[in-house]
Amino acid sequence: MTQTPTLSRRSQSSTPSQPRTSRRRGTDARAGYTFLLPWLLGFIALTVGPMISSLYLSFTNYNLFDAPKWIGLDNYATLFQDERFLQSVGVTLSYVVFGTPLKLAAALAIAMLLNSKRKGQGFYRSAFYAPSLIGASVSIAIVWKAMFGDSGPVDEGLSFFGIDLGGWVGNPSMTMPMMILLTVWQFGAPMVIFLAGLKQIPADLYEAASMDGAGPVRKFFNITWPMLSPVIFFNLLMETIHAFQIFASAYIISNGEGGPAGSTLFYTLYLYLRGFSDFRMGYASAMAWLLVIVVGIITLIFFKTSKSWVHYSGDSK
Amino acid sequence: MINRRNFLTTVALGTASAAFLSACGQSSSSGKAGSAENPVTITYTWWGNDDRAERTRKAIALFESKNPDVKVNGNFTDFAGYWQKRATEAAGGGLPDVMQWDLSYLRDYGQRNQLLDLGTVKINTDAFDKSLLPSGQIRGKTYGIPTSTNAFAVYYDPAKLKAMGIAEPDGTWNYKEFNSFLAEVGQKGNGTLFGGTDYTGVWWMFNIWLRQNNIQAFTDEGKLGFSKDDLKKWWNTTAQLRGTPAIVGEDKTTQLLPKSPFGSNVTATEVTWDNFMAGYLGDSGAKELKLVPVPSDNSDNLGLFLKPSMLMVASAKTKYKDAAARFIDFMVNDPEVGQIFKTSRGVPASKTQRDGTTFEGTDKLVVDYEKSIEKYLKDAPEPPIVGFGTLESSFKRVSSDLNYGKLTIDGAADAWFKEAEDLIKQNA
Repeated sequence: MTQTPTLSRRSQSSTPSQPRTSRRRGTDARAGYTFLLPWLLGFIALTVGPMISSLYLSFTNYNLFDAPKWIGLDNYATLFQDERFLQSVGVTLSYVVFGTPLKLAAALAIAMLLNSKRKGQGFYRSAFYAPSLIGASVSIAIVWKAMFGDSGPVDEGLSFFGIDLGGWVGNPSMTMPMMILLTVWQFGAPMVIFLAGLKQIPADLYEAASMDGAGPVRKFFNITWPMLSPVIFFNLLMETIHAFQIFASAYIISNGEGGPAGSTLFYTLYLYLRGFSDFRMGYASAMAWLLVIVVGIITLIFFKTSKSWVHYSGDSK
Repeated sequence: MINRRNFLTTVALGTASAAFLSACGQSSSSGKAGSAENPVTITYTWWGNDDRAERTRKAIALFESKNPDVKVNGNFTDFAGYWQKRATEAAGGGLPDVMQWDLSYLRDYGQRNQLLDLGTVKINTDAFDKSLLPSGQIRGKTYGIPTSTNAFAVYYDPAKLKAMGIAEPDGTWNYKEFNSFLAEVGQKGNGTLFGGTDYTGVWWMFNIWLRQNNIQAFTDEGKLGFSKDDLKKWWNTTAQLRGTPAIVGEDKTTQLLPKSPFGSNVTATEVTWDNFMAGYLGDSGAKELKLVPVPSDNSDNLGLFLKPSMLMVASAKTKYKDAAARFIDFMVNDPEVGQIFKTSRGVPASKTQRDGTTFEGTDKLVVDYEKSIEKYLKDAPEPPIVGFGTLESSFKRVSSDLNYGKLTIDGAADAWFKEAEDLIKQNA
């Protein structure tokens, strides 16, 4: 097969079939929409619809059974006088602020280790990725709880070294470190993305730097970090949003109550309890919308500040 | 290359498969009355542990063998998750046909038309104590039938007391004596065995204390009948014990969940409902556990009462009213069901069931305990207010913060009252 006949056929038919192509484009579009339809219907019925109704409910007093009563901004106003709400904000923020950077640091460090060629690389990559595959599951939260419980492996292990912290699960000041460890351990997803990013960095940059006598630290800060910055930005954004939404593991570890002493009362957990334990669905909806707004603002701030540190190839800077 | 005909075919196929799928979803609901060849299926849900699941499974099998036209599809969760699940289902209009129910939540659902008025179906209540039935009724309608009764008690493990050389209590004690008993156990327990859990963190024990002092927990208008000072006084009862071996630490209690410290052999006593016996025996592996009355500063008024330990209710939206009613009737009246559950649901409420059951060993202890306190029993408390379930769990939570030292007694009382008043206002 040569290219010439194809070309000639295309050029031959192009002039007479001009109207036919546009008609075909029309049918293509229709076909496209047809295939899009199931998703679109699902999106409208299962995402947009509930979001609108939850926005409406956030201005009402709704107990799940009786018709919602319009109360305007009352829910939003009472939020800030609710001590448990403020506690849940504090708990969630400390989780996001400490957990996310640690998780990303772990992901980047391991990705860099796995980037170099060595034996059994495939095995290590899978092994490090595995925890994040099963990480969101209920069973891991249960295992985690058992591990950090009284005379669990962690308690026993630490006592062996003379550190006597007792069980972490029942100790209000140790549950947050435990939750952060759990999320850091699940660094697999950002790690894979970092790995892909690292592969994109041209090797000759490092070679050139070596010739100029740059050490590993220098190479990291002058080559890896700036070249990787779009990937770092992406991971930071995704993991931050993700951290705000932590629910399942907190629910399991605290027996669905946010204990001990409210130390695992994460935002979404309190939202859930408000809605389904206290029958305050209007209040829970207000909380949900506040979360949407706050995450939106944080995303915006990330994008605004990213200009100063994220470098895309082809940028003049 | 999709042309008009292909496009239409695609749409037609899509519609057809959607119709097919929805048809599949409906295939299970046939008619209202079942027959042996084509039985109807009702759903039943309860809370509890494995022990209760096993017994329930036996009862269901028995019901199905006697009622071949009805199949019962059962499932269970623990108590906390149970109510969140029911709320979700109620919001979606899909409550199970028949449910095990708790007094705390009867108003929330009954008053809001989620439960079937059982007065409109055939359930035999002739064998029930007439003073017990009103606890399942709201504004003249019967929403729940009690399966059984329970009463508050102090559990203790005689073997553990004997090992420490402490005499078994006889149940005539005031709070001071009870507290020094807890302290003695804790002291001799050597850091491995504690006196008990903090009984001031249990709402029903507080309610009993209020009754001992002739205070109503809730007024007839659905407001709080006690003052902040009453609550402070109550939490002050164990102020000297918190943080000592008399009371197990909250960190330990939290880690042991969902088992209780008593069930985990960490304490020698526990103040709770008498029908927990079977569960405690299973959890702790103890040979024998005994029951004595709760302490009181007024030996003539122990504040005790019989409460329906659980109720059977049906969904207002059930399609199988008749089958649901037959199942409820069977579960509360049938003597063989009594024989299966013994006292694990409480002492059977229906006389036919009670008489048809032989109580031995620890089950007999529970029945005997309820007999022994008969002379102290007063009317069951006023039906809890709407939202009581939330109040009860926040009472537990605030008390636990108190034990953690995160709140002072004054702070805890303020926190609970604020929540309670807010909730009462919400549901007014």
